[in-house]
Amino acid sequence: MNNKHTGLINNENENENKSFLRTLIENNVTRRLIPKGLSWFGCMGGLSLVAFLIQVSTGIFLMFHFVPNERGALDSIHNVTHNVPYGWLLQRLHAIGPNIMVGMVISHMLRILFKGIYKHPRELHWVSGACLLILTLLIYYTGSMLSVGNVKAHSGIHLTYIYAIHVAGIPLIMGLFMGMHFFMVRTTGICEQL
Amino acid sequence: MKDYTKDRGPERLEPFFPNEMFRHTIVSCFLVVLELIAVSIFPLPFKVVNKPDNISWFLLPLYKLSKLVHNELLFILILASCALLFISWPFLVRDKKNKMLPIKNAKGADSCHILQISERRNLWQRPILFAVVILTISSMIQLCFIKL
Repeated sequence: MNNKHTGLINNENENENKSFLRTLIENNVTRRLIPKGLSWFGCMGGLSLVAFLIQVSTGIFLMFHFVPNERGALDSIHNVTHNVPYGWLLQRLHAIGPNIMVGMVISHMLRILFKGIYKHPRELHWVSGACLLILTLLIYYTGSMLSVGNVKAHSGIHLTYIYAIHVAGIPLIMGLFMGMHFFMVRTTGICEQL
Repeated sequence: MKDYTKDRGPERLEPFFPNEMFRHTIVSCFLVVLELIAVSIFPLPFKVVNKPDNISWFLLPLYKLSKLVHNELLFILILASCALLFISWPFLVRDKKNKMLPIKNAKGADSCHILQISERRNLWQRPILFAVVILTISSMIQLCFIKL
C-alpha cells in the first residue's frame, strides 16, 4: 500500500516536472515569437559567445598539459604541440581564436554604437558589454604572457599568478558580466529596427 | 522575459525556433570554419605592421601609446580615463527631445507640459558625435602605423 502510494506521488512529481520542463522549453524556445526580419549582423553577440566557448574548451584541454612555472612552461607547450594527439590544432586554435573573438566583439560593439542601440533603456547592456571587451583584452594579455614567445621575456613575474588570473580570475568575472548581459537582454529585449 | 507579441500583429512576428536558431547555427558553423582556415593559413605570430611578435593587432594602439607616453603613471591614467569614457558612453551622449504635451489643468483649461523624451537615432544623424567617433577610430588605426 505504502509502495503504491509512494509510486503515485513519484508519478505525480514526474508529471509535474515534465510539464514544468515542457512549459520552460515551449515558452523559451519552441513557442517563442520574435520580431520578424532581424539582421544577420545581429548574430555578432552570439558569435562572440561561441568564440569564447571555443576558447574555454581549448583552454581546458591545454590546462591538463601546461606547467605553470618558469622551468616547465616552455617544454610543456612544446610537448602539447609535438607529442599530444591533435595538440597542435587545439593549441593553435587557442592562440588564433582571440583574434577572431576580439574582432567579433568589436564589430558587435561598433554596430551597437553606430545604430544607437545603447540608448535608453539599454544603457546597462552597453556598460556590461564594454566591461566584457576590456576583460577580453585583459585575458588575452595574460594569455599572451604564457605563450611561447613570452615565457622567457616575463620570467621576472611569477608565472603561477598570471596563470591563475588567466584561467580562473578573469573567466569568473567574465562569467558574471555575461550572466548580467544576457539577463538584461532577455528582460529588455532586442532592439527594434529604426 | 520581454514579450514581443504585445504591440505586434502575427505578420510582424516569426518563430524563434527554427528561424532564429537556424540563423545562429549557420553563423556559428561559419565561425568554426573561419577559425580552422585561420589556423591552417596564418603563421604564428601573425604580423602585418612593424611590431614585436608578442603584441596582437588589437593591443597595438596601446603598445604604441605606451612607447609615445614615457611616464608610466600618465599612461595608466590615460588608459583608465579612456576606459571610463568608453564604459559611460551611453550616459554622456543622451538624446533628449522636448515634446509639448497638452494637458488640462484643474479648471479644465488646456495648458502645455514640456516632456523630455529620449529617442534613438543612428550615430550618423548626429554629426558632431559621428565625427568624434570616426576621428577616434582613425587615430587609433594611425597609431598602429607610427614608426618608433
